[in-house]
Amino acid sequence: MEFKLEAHRIVSISLGKIYNSRVQRGGIKLHKNLLVSLVLRSARQVYLSDPCPGLYLAGPAGTPAPPPPQQPGEPAAGPPAGWGEPPPPAARAAWPETEPERTAVSDAPWAGGAEPAATVTGAGDALQGREADGAGAAWGRVEGRREAAARGAGGPAAGSDVFPEGPQAARRACACLPGGEDQRGAAAASPGADCCCAPRPAVDEPPAPPAVCPRKRGAAGVGGGPAGCPAPGSTPLKKPRRNLEEQPGRVEDDDAEEMETGNVANLISIFGSSFSGLLRKSPGGGREEEEGEESSPEAAEPGQICCDKPVLRDMNPWSTAIVAF
Amino acid sequence: MNYPDESTYGNKADIISTVEFNHTGELLATGDKGGRVVIFQREQESKNQVHRRGEYNVYSTFQSHEPEFDYLKSLEIEEKINKIRWLPQQNAAYFLLSTNDKTVKLWKVSERDKRPEGYNLKDEEGRLRDPATITTLRVPVLRPMDLMVEATPRRVFANAHTYHINSISVNSDYETYMSADDLRINLWNFEITNQSFNIVDIKPANMEELTEVITAAEFHPHHCNTFVYSSSKGTIRLCDMRASALCDRHTKFFEEPEDPSNRSFFSEIISSISDVKFSHSGRYIMTRDYLTVKVWDLNMENRPIETYQVHDYLRSKLCSLYENDCIFDKFECVWNGSDSVIMTGSYNNFFRMFDRNTKRDVTLEASRENSKPRAILKPRKVCVGGKRRKDEISVDSLDFSKKILHTAWHPSENIIAVAATNNLYIFQDKVN
Repeated sequence: MEFKLEAHRIVSISLGKIYNSRVQRGGIKLHKNLLVSLVLRSARQVYLSDPCPGLYLAGPAGTPAPPPPQQPGEPAAGPPAGWGEPPPPAARAAWPETEPERTAVSDAPWAGGAEPAATVTGAGDALQGREADGAGAAWGRVEGRREAAARGAGGPAAGSDVFPEGPQAARRACACLPGGEDQRGAAAASPGADCCCAPRPAVDEPPAPPAVCPRKRGAAGVGGGPAGCPAPGSTPLKKPRRNLEEQPGRVEDDDAEEMETGNVANLISIFGSSFSGLLRKSPGGGREEEEGEESSPEAAEPGQICCDKPVLRDMNPWSTAIVAF
Repeated sequence: MNYPDESTYGNKADIISTVEFNHTGELLATGDKGGRVVIFQREQESKNQVHRRGEYNVYSTFQSHEPEFDYLKSLEIEEKINKIRWLPQQNAAYFLLSTNDKTVKLWKVSERDKRPEGYNLKDEEGRLRDPATITTLRVPVLRPMDLMVEATPRRVFANAHTYHINSISVNSDYETYMSADDLRINLWNFEITNQSFNIVDIKPANMEELTEVITAAEFHPHHCNTFVYSSSKGTIRLCDMRASALCDRHTKFFEEPEDPSNRSFFSEIISSISDVKFSHSGRYIMTRDYLTVKVWDLNMENRPIETYQVHDYLRSKLCSLYENDCIFDKFECVWNGSDSVIMTGSYNNFFRMFDRNTKRDVTLEASRENSKPRAILKPRKVCVGGKRRKDEISVDSLDFSKKILHTAWHPSENIIAVAATNNLYIFQDKVN
C-alpha cells in the first residue's frame, strides 16, 4: 500500500515537472524530461503491481469507488514516450543541422511542447484502474472534452483528489458541466480549466472556442491532424472515440491549454488523482509521426508528443489520452 | 592537503556555469548564466612580493552570448554559457571556445599596449582635419598606452544543433573540435563555420523510442581519432573516427551492471552520467553520476576500476531530491595534473577530493564564513546518523541550494577553482 501511495505521489510530482518544463526558459530539456518519464514509468509499474486494489487515494475522503478492475500488468507500454518529432531535418551528415521545420501548429502556449506521452501515459496506466472511479477528477476536467458523454461508468468525477467522486459515472468530470453542478470539480479545477467542458455534448459549442478553452487542441486538430490517425483530428471527433477501450488514443495536449492558466499545485493535485487514459498503441507507425507533428507545439523538439505506445489495452472506458502537455 | 590561500571573487551578478583553466594555468575563464565570460590571469610572481604566490586577477570580461529567440519554435535560447574550452596558445593571443545551448563561438583575447599616433588626416581625437591645413607629412608611430585587453569573436558556429549543446571538446590536432547535444555530436574545423560533420547520431527514427541521450563528450588528449561520450543510462562509448565516418557504432562500451539491491524509482536518474573526463595520461576516464565518481581503465569495459562515494547519505533522500529537482543537478569532476587526485562538488558548498593512491578522501567547504585569505581549509564531515559530533553537520541541515557543480584544477600545480553559485573560490596549496 505504501508503495502505491508513494508511486502515486511520484506520479503527481512528475507530471508537475513535465508541465513546468513547458514554460521554462530555453525550451524543454530533453534529458530531464526523459528522466522524468522513466520515473513515471517506474512509478506506474509499481502502482500496477502493488496488490492493493480498490483504494484510490484520492484525497481526504478516500472515497471508495467500487474497486476498479484490477488491471493486469499492463502490457508494457512499449517504447517510451512519444517524443514527438518534427518533420525530419535535412540531411545531416555533412550539413549543419538545421532546425526542423515545425508544423507550426500550435497555438503558442504550448510551445513548451508536449511532453512525451509516455510519461504521462505511464502514469496513466498506473492509475488507470483507479481512475475510472476515482479520482479522475482532474482528468475529468482535462479529459472533459474527450470524455464525451459516453463516459459512462466510472467517469472520474470532476473534482480532483479532493473530491473523489469518481464513481459517479454520469457525472463527468468536467467541472464545467452545464449547470455547473459540479462545484467540486470547479473548485478543484484550476481557473481556466472549467472551459474544458466546452465541447462536451452538453455544451453546444464546437471544440474549444479559444476564448473559453484555449486549447491547443485546436492546433492538433487544425494543424493537420495526422492523416492516418483515426482518433485525432478535429476535436469533436476525438471525444466519442476516447471512450472506447481499444481506442487508439493519443496523448492529447488539450490539457495544455488548461494547465497553462491553472496554477501548478492545482494541476498536480488534479493530475495526481488519476490518469485516465493513455494512449494506446496505434497499430501503425504512421501515427506517431503524425501525432508528433500535430501535437508539436513548435517548441520542443523534444517532447512533443505524447503517444505512448501500447498503453493500456483493457483499461476502463476512459482511456483518454493523457496529454502530452 | 592544505589550501591556505584563498581568493574569493564574489558578488557576481550571475551564477557561474563553467570554469576552465587554460593549458598553462596562467588564465582561468568562467562563464555565467548571463552569457558573460570573465577571464582571470595569474599575477607573475615578483621579487618584491615573494610571499604572494601568483594570485588571479580579472584580466578580461566580455559578453559572449546574448539571449536569442527562435521564432519558428517560439523558444527562447538561453545565453547561459554551458562550457568554455581553451585552445593551446600558438601566438601572443589567447583563443577560447564558449558555447550556449545552440551556438559555439571562438573568441580571441589579445592585449593591446600600443597605439598609433600622429596621423595626418585625423587629429588626436580622431576628428578629420581639413586637408587645406596640412602642410607637412609625418609617419604615424606606435606609442605605449595602458594595457587594454580586448576580446573579439573570430568565428561563430551556429545552426548545427537541434538539441541543447552540453559539451565541446578541442581535438589534439588543434584543427578540429566537437560539439555534442542530447542526440548528436558534430565535428567542426575551426576555419569553417558553415558546415559541420555529424559523427554521432543516436536519434531514433521514431522519437517515441528514445531511451537515452548523450550527456557529455570529450576527445582523447593525445589520439586525435578517439573520443568518448557518456549517456543518461550510465554508459560510456569510446569511438574511433577512423573506423567509419559516422561513429554510431562504438569501439568500446563501458557499462557497469546495476546492483539490484539498490533499485528504486530513481535508479535510472542517478545512474545518468553528468560528466566524463579523460585523465591527462589518456589511460583512464572518470565519470560522475549523481552519487559517485568512477574511474575506468580504457582497457576494461565491464566495470570501473575505482568507485568513490561522493555523498552516499543522499541515497535515502532521493525522493525529496527528486521533488526539489536536485536529483537533476549535473556535477562535474576533474583530475589533478598528475592524475593522482580527483575532485568533484557536492551540496552545502562542499567539494570532495579523492586521492587515488592513498585512498584517502576529504570534504572541504567553499564559503566565506569559513575561510579567510591564507586560512587553512578545515575538512568537513557529514554525520549520517547517530550522534552528531560538534563540528559535523547532519544530512538534514545541508543546504541544497548551495551546490558546487563546476570546479577546475590547474594543469600542473595544486591550485583549484571552485564555483559556488555566483562566487568563485580559488585555493592554492601552501607548499613553500
